[in-house]
Amino acid sequence: MWARALAGLLAGFFVAAAAAGLITWVPPGPWQAVIVPSMVAFIPLWMLAALWAFAFRTGLRAWLWLGATAASGFGLLWLLRHFDWVQ
Amino acid sequence: MKFSSLTLRTFTTVHTWVGLVAGFALFVAFYAGAITVFHHDLPLWQSPQGMDQPAQTLDDAQRLLDGVLAKHPDARKHVGMTFPGAETPQSIAYWQDAKGTWLFAWADHVDGSPTPPQAGLAELVNELHYTLGLPVAGIYLMGVVSLLYGLALLSGLVIHLPKLVGDLFALRPGRNLKQMWQDAHNVIGVLSLPFHLLFAVTGALLCLMFLQMAALNPLIYDGKLLAAIPGATDTAPIRAPANQPVRAGSLAMLHARSIAVANELGQKHFEPAYLKLANAGDANATIEITGDGGVSLGPLGAVALDANTGEVLHTQLPGQRDANHATLAAAYALHFGEFGNGWVPWLYFALGLGGAFLFYSGNLLWIESRRKRRQVVQGRAQINMARATVGVCIGLCVAVSAAFVSVQLLEHLAPAHADAGMRWTCFLVWGGCALWAALRAPSKAAVELLWAAAAVTALIPVVHGAMSGLWLWTSAARGYWPLFWVDGVALAMALGFAAMARATQRRAVNGDPNSVWAHTRA
Repeated sequence: MWARALAGLLAGFFVAAAAAGLITWVPPGPWQAVIVPSMVAFIPLWMLAALWAFAFRTGLRAWLWLGATAASGFGLLWLLRHFDWVQ
Repeated sequence: MKFSSLTLRTFTTVHTWVGLVAGFALFVAFYAGAITVFHHDLPLWQSPQGMDQPAQTLDDAQRLLDGVLAKHPDARKHVGMTFPGAETPQSIAYWQDAKGTWLFAWADHVDGSPTPPQAGLAELVNELHYTLGLPVAGIYLMGVVSLLYGLALLSGLVIHLPKLVGDLFALRPGRNLKQMWQDAHNVIGVLSLPFHLLFAVTGALLCLMFLQMAALNPLIYDGKLLAAIPGATDTAPIRAPANQPVRAGSLAMLHARSIAVANELGQKHFEPAYLKLANAGDANATIEITGDGGVSLGPLGAVALDANTGEVLHTQLPGQRDANHATLAAAYALHFGEFGNGWVPWLYFALGLGGAFLFYSGNLLWIESRRKRRQVVQGRAQINMARATVGVCIGLCVAVSAAFVSVQLLEHLAPAHADAGMRWTCFLVWGGCALWAALRAPSKAAVELLWAAAAVTALIPVVHGAMSGLWLWTSAARGYWPLFWVDGVALAMALGFAAMARATQRRAVNGDPNSVWAHTRA
């Protein structure tokens, strides 16, 4: 239980941060136009990510899944920004 | 939706423990928050001379602004001020000094006070709402509690989802008391779920905003967040001072201009509520006038003008603002219940008390589901949980009412000590109640503290009448409706506490003896 809680707290934070980052950068227009919606969205995203961690049978699985999701989220964000597909 | 029984069991554990950890703080936040809905009425109730004062005019506001700007160079850089109106009959100006401390000025007090006028009772209740009364760390604690609250809500929803619709209107009174409490907990939780999700999110946001900004800035905003925030939240553009003094436009002109601009842009109604003035007296001074635009989920909109000429610089009005301003206005209005008509505050009051009940019943369910059904003696954990629930929750109700009574007494007998005296009373009574509950059998303490809550709450209208001469009927006759409603609600709540005390007493005597809530019979 504690391992999953920790995964939700830490890895979940990065999952939510990556999702909030995509919300900030993907919509058309400058990223500054959606600062407030992305900040607001981050909170329920973190809650959902933390909840998701408890859906796994072990802490290890939770860490792997959430960690991989966060990493791919940030990876996608980096790609989009690196090739200037978003602004 | 289908979940495996293992997942459901895990989520039940998460719901139970997160709910218990956050539940006490949330009870305080909701009980005090329900009262905070009426924060404009409490200062009038505390010292009713405000009821007779003629409403200030724009000339009074202009005098205050001129006085502050003449005396405080820091305020010239940036100053805020409320317009005299229904919500704030008296204009208040506020600005930060060189050290970043907020200072306040009003009417003839332009020296700059670190506390706003008439903070008193309303401020104490508000502090309980968002910090539990704890200095500095309280607000972050409440932010974390809000996050846990969201987790408890979502996990509760998942557990309940399979039978959500079927059980929604089931309230099964009868022999199985646990079932009835569970039904009540579920129906309130489900029906007010949107309201609760909204508070979990906006509460966490309001408390943790700065931490969140600091953490996310390097991660997703490229470290450019702080530079982008003014553009996303303010309406007036930032203009560097020209270092060229000019004669500023009058408040009356700017006030009228903001209304005219809003009307021109199709806003039928625009009532200026407060202003933000930057670089006052300079040729590049800007003023942002925020006002109530009426029918919208985020009714507050803003018009930014050149503070000298009244020329329009920018607007953010309901229906024609960008995503940032629309989200901000809606989040703000939803948390503070400042949208819709006069029923919304009462709805928020009811939902606030309902929320307090949700957390209280959650604790009761925890105790009930661990009850030893075949013996009188109950486990230590159950007894301690019962003690803590009674001491903290019912104790808070007694303490808040005691603060009302004491501030009314002190306001008339020793006005200089009203604020400090009220705070001491509140926290000493709360601590006293918690101690009482820790020392007594839970069944006895619950009945006694509920009677105490009923008695102290009933004293609110009595002491108010005796001290100010404004009894319920006098207030009604004179049309002092805010005072009438504060006293009236206190009376209704006193009756509610008395009814709960009687019910608890009956349960203790006649109910199942194998429970922490039964009086031990010799």
